[in-house]
Amino acid sequence: MTVTIRTLNELLQPSHLPAHPLATQEYFVNMGPQHPISHGSLRLVLRLDGETVKEVIPVPGFVHRGVEKMCESLTPRQIVPYTDRLDYLSAFMNNWAITRVVETAAGIESNERIETIRTLMSELQRIQSHALWWGVTGMDLGAFTAFLYGFREREVISEIFEETVGARLTMNYIQPGGVMYDIHPNFVKRVKDVMAYMKPIIDEYDTLLSGNVILQERCRNIGILSPEKAIALGCTGPVLRASGVPYDLRKMENYGVYNKVDFNVVVGAVGDCWDRYYVRMQEMRESIRIVEQLIDSIPEGPTMTLRYNLPIEMPEGTYYSQVETARGVFGAFLVAEGKSEKPYPLHFRSPNYNNLWSVTALAPGWRVADIIAILSSLDLVIPDIDR
Amino acid sequence: MSFMDFTDLRYEKRTLGGKILPVVVCPRFNPRSQPMRVFDAVKGLLQGMRLTLGYLLSPSKIVTQQYPENRATLKFPERYRAILKFKYDENGLHKCTGCKNCEVACPNASIKVITRDSVITEDHELDRYIWRLDSCMFCNACVQACPFDAIEMGHAFENAVYDRRLLIYGLNPIAGPAASALENEEDPEVRRRMSDPRTILGGPIPLNGAGLPNLKPVAAAPFVDPLPIAVTDPLPPEDGEGEEVS
Ligand code: SF4
Ligand code: SF4
Repeated sequence: MTVTIRTLNELLQPSHLPAHPLATQEYFVNMGPQHPISHGSLRLVLRLDGETVKEVIPVPGFVHRGVEKMCESLTPRQIVPYTDRLDYLSAFMNNWAITRVVETAAGIESNERIETIRTLMSELQRIQSHALWWGVTGMDLGAFTAFLYGFREREVISEIFEETVGARLTMNYIQPGGVMYDIHPNFVKRVKDVMAYMKPIIDEYDTLLSGNVILQERCRNIGILSPEKAIALGCTGPVLRASGVPYDLRKMENYGVYNKVDFNVVVGAVGDCWDRYYVRMQEMRESIRIVEQLIDSIPEGPTMTLRYNLPIEMPEGTYYSQVETARGVFGAFLVAEGKSEKPYPLHFRSPNYNNLWSVTALAPGWRVADIIAILSSLDLVIPDIDR
Repeated sequence: MSFMDFTDLRYEKRTLGGKILPVVVCPRFNPRSQPMRVFDAVKGLLQGMRLTLGYLLSPSKIVTQQYPENRATLKFPERYRAILKFKYDENGLHKCTGCKNCEVACPNASIKVITRDSVITEDHELDRYIWRLDSCMFCNACVQACPFDAIEMGHAFENAVYDRRLLIYGLNPIAGPAASALENEEDPEVRRRMSDPRTILGGPIPLNGAGLPNLKPVAAAPFVDPLPIAVTDPLPPEDGEGEEVS
């Protein structure tokens, strides 16, 4: 296999003048870094021939904060709040990834209660993240009403988090050795209420947007990602599953208490934007099923098994752990030196980074407006790409 | 079956990596012939319209909060994490011993605990507790790390100011030993001399707001802490000790 490396400068050279007198000249258009569709600072350079996209060159890095480098001077407990700020819509799952790798490295035992709470929180956040994504997709494709509806449900779930965790976005809740607080006394009742409320709401989403002819026309058979290509690009999460590959870490790795619950892996049939859209809609229903199976039987036990101020000893070695976030596989690779608590180095494998590059395979041949639908269906969170 | 039937899910089993997985395949309806497609399109649009119209006609379902008009009735869950503040006992005394566990636990050095030796007992005690709201990320690590339950995250969230120097706070209104140590002292006069007053925006950290010309510390409004009863009549500071550096 050969890999060609081209700099952005080379890519942006003016294209050749075609021989045919009527042929148009290709030109470049910057989409972003400030563009409503990028949901953050992401620059896409489009090479266009008229309206037709010839090539997409993603230029990430506008939100690069050097989180991995910073983590080299932090203790495991201090790293956890930084992972909130990667994919902020999957904060619990990101916390869980770093927690898992630290717990594996240090040999920290967890218990059923901790794992159940972690699973519950992650699934609630998956619903929340997908609900927000649904609203934002609606807005990207011109349906502003959907945006308000998506935020409404997000708020309902945020309130549950606020009560138990004390935060709405940057959780720092799942920590090595357990969780920050025990669940709030109201938690079980509230979650049940919200789940009962959410079920008809997702059908409402279908009525409002999924059945809409404009959405259908802009998504169906647009941007088809073949399973081979998706795997080759390292796509994970709903993007990969929409291409028909039933790869879901919740089934493949059996972390948390996912092996105790009954749920289906949602896959798409073709791998177009519609499949990526509907995989997430159906995943919300599956997540509701998971939450409903767990909420009545949270086992008893302590929620934190470590004393806070004691250092976490990690023997020398390399460790890797991963979890399924709302956007795919989030992994943390940690090298422990054995001398100190601090990792050297720490690398995050973020799902959005790989999912972003699928746009280079998806976009060529489609129109500029289709890029919007394609990007929207990838559900990118930019700080997770740039880290 | 009509064009848009979202219950048209296919349940099957697939193998991946040696595992048999229950799988549900998303609905995929094939568009019908031309006249029916127009009908389907209009139907889909009208369904959505009817839904939004339903919300328009039943305002009780609308969940918008009228912030800031509802400020008086805003309720926060007790665990809500906003500004950091000291906890006080019933005499208005803080519990911080100056052990610096919170400073060590803070991931981005938002806390600086300055300690001193007591004038009276020569014990290690708190002089200034400096907290930088501008770099704090409300992670709660400091609260979790405190072995004496001396700090907590309060609920005041409207912290905007015009000068970021005003975001560096001294959290302790008195410098001196923790309540537990002060209780051991019998003589009220000695007790009084053990503690010195501190202001919210005074302190030796550069960028601290107190030294700024024409700046009144209005930003300190959320910090209306109970005035410590033990030092209602503070003595002038001893030489070199507890001097206001601005
Ligand atoms: S909440 Fe976190 S960032 Fe803020 S002062 Fe405490 S430990 Fe530091
Ligand atoms: S607040 Fe707590 S942890 Fe910080 S110095 Fe005071 S007693 Fe120690």
